[in-house]
Amino acid sequence: MTTQPVTLRRRRLHEIVSPLTIPLVTLLLFVLILLLAPASLPKLVTGIILPGLTLAALYFLIAAGLSLIFGLMDVLNFAHGSLFMVGAYIAWSCNVGLDPLYPNHWPVTIANSNARFVIGLLVGTLLGAGLGAVVEVLLIRPLYKRPIYQVLLTLGLVFVFDALVRSVPAWGSDSKAPIKPSLLAGSLEILGRRFPTYSLFLIVLGLTLAVAVALLLRRSRIGMTIRAGVQDSTMVEALGINVRRVFTGVFALGAGLAALGGAAAASFIGVYPEMGLEYQLFAFIVVVIGGLGSYSGAAIGALLIGLARTFSDHLVLELGLPTAIASASTVLVMAVVLLLKPGGVFGAKE
Amino acid sequence: MGRLRPLLPLIMFGALAGLPFAFAEETTRFWQGVLIQIYILAVYALSYDLLMGYTGIISFGHALFLGGGAFTTAILLRQDNPPSVGVVVLAVLAVGLLLGAAVGALSLRLSGVYFSMITLALAEIAFILFRADDPTLKPITGGELGIQGVHVPPAIDPTTFRLRFYFLTLLFMAALYLVARRIVDSPTGRVFVAIRENEGRALALGYNTFVYKLVATMLSATLAALAGMMLVLYEKSATYELLSVGFTIQALLMTIIGGIGTLVGPMLGAATIRLLEHWLDSSAVRAVLPLWLRTDLLFGLIYVGLVLFFPAGIVGGINKLRGRRSRRTIDLLRQSVVPNGIDAQNNVK
Repeated sequence: MTTQPVTLRRRRLHEIVSPLTIPLVTLLLFVLILLLAPASLPKLVTGIILPGLTLAALYFLIAAGLSLIFGLMDVLNFAHGSLFMVGAYIAWSCNVGLDPLYPNHWPVTIANSNARFVIGLLVGTLLGAGLGAVVEVLLIRPLYKRPIYQVLLTLGLVFVFDALVRSVPAWGSDSKAPIKPSLLAGSLEILGRRFPTYSLFLIVLGLTLAVAVALLLRRSRIGMTIRAGVQDSTMVEALGINVRRVFTGVFALGAGLAALGGAAAASFIGVYPEMGLEYQLFAFIVVVIGGLGSYSGAAIGALLIGLARTFSDHLVLELGLPTAIASASTVLVMAVVLLLKPGGVFGAKE
Repeated sequence: MGRLRPLLPLIMFGALAGLPFAFAEETTRFWQGVLIQIYILAVYALSYDLLMGYTGIISFGHALFLGGGAFTTAILLRQDNPPSVGVVVLAVLAVGLLLGAAVGALSLRLSGVYFSMITLALAEIAFILFRADDPTLKPITGGELGIQGVHVPPAIDPTTFRLRFYFLTLLFMAALYLVARRIVDSPTGRVFVAIRENEGRALALGYNTFVYKLVATMLSATLAALAGMMLVLYEKSATYELLSVGFTIQALLMTIIGGIGTLVGPMLGAATIRLLEHWLDSSAVRAVLPLWLRTDLLFGLIYVGLVLFFPAGIVGGINKLRGRRSRRTIDLLRQSVVPNGIDAQNNVK
């Protein structure tokens, strides 16, 4: 660890702002948006809050791994979004390739679309996690002594994965439409408005994983090692634990979460080569707001950014502005947070 | 050889100025085009080296500056009554400085990976906004098609006066190289290097490192914006691709191939990449390589290989061959990225 120099200076704004301020200010902003562009209660729930939670679930799946990996090994994996994209492409391929009605289907086919979907999720997650482990062992590990090159390398991987996906003949550069399993293809009625079942599934998936990983981190022995490694990996090593192996495990776990997010997103937004960077962008904003290295920070950041997206979409639509501005506006949220509290809401590891 | 060393830049310049006459009549126009692209990319690489090699700041949003200059030029010159070249240059300079100031002021509050992350996010936002096929944005940005049909002033039109444009870009590159060299050798440039080597110490010596880093970002952004301007003048179009991560990677690739923190190195890197690209796309090589191995994939793999095995680049390799101790830049750069990221200024309890 490098020691930071100590200088005398006046207190800065962000030291006075308490961690609760940012969620509170964001909530206030949401209320302000509702005052500017009113929405009825059913519209508010099914048109803004639930879609916001859906996005939050996807952002969380990327951000959690990003944050955990950084917290444990000080590696910011710029290719994390690429693992999301790879997961999505694999799941999409399973959905298409196993379909007996698809012209270029694989030798083995399964008639049940729900089974295909589950297989896609599993294969996507496992291959994504495996890919993460391979990347860590082969590419990241030789560079632990040169952290700057780790960053340069992972950015290069973004480019490699992007080109790789485009060069697979079955995938190509154009976007593919989402394929939903029959069980989740319909919609439910909530407060008198239809809401897609698949979005609910994503929310449940995100929540379940958030709880499961939290339990893994807080209750299991492995989780204890990981948390200890985040605190002080040298100390953990001195206690006789192979930290390198834990590193690989966490990298695979993070990669698997991102790939699962991608595999689930493939049936929601479809697949296209830019999806990795696009979602990683929001994951970055999430971890900046939540504080890099903090798991709960990633969860809360994802909630805030997911809702901020849908609230600003709502505002922009009501005012008749271009929707691209809504996605740009989330960067504004990040800018404000950075100005107020550069360490993030839960600024861990300072 | 030792006595000729100070004359080396002049000799290089003379050789490059004579180069278009060295090719056969029918191919010279093509090679002039390639060299023009190399000179423009060299300036882009130069701007990146100023930031990464000398100040130790790793920006992942450099394409934003290039694209900013490019789109300013394209938007100004698309009109039916385009403003004069002077106005365009001034506008590009202003946009470069402003973009650099805005991005720097926001992201320099953090250092290390945080800075890289924020700059990448900012560039991605610009990418999303400029790619969007939105009825309100499209008239300005051109959407997926980009801006085509830029009215280049007839006197420097690269289609009719290819050779004139060649000398213009050569002069442009030489001038900006001298500017960059002057910046690096100035007292301000020394502070940049001090920040790269040990920001805490520079701070302790009484330098306001934030201001210096901001100045470095603004200068680098301006150079990149000028490169973007030249690119639009040559291509006569600007597309959203200019803002993509691919272009940032290209800057990184050129800088690392050539040698970080050497100014000349990244310019050599630009030439290497463009020529390699040409060679890889030639039919003889295409016939050998498998079809799925696209050029961009190959470049990605080369980049990863360089980062892993050959981080000192061409100039570092030459220095090693000549028996010099290779520059310590790499080791020093390593220190400049503080793992826990938070700026020294912000990390005081």
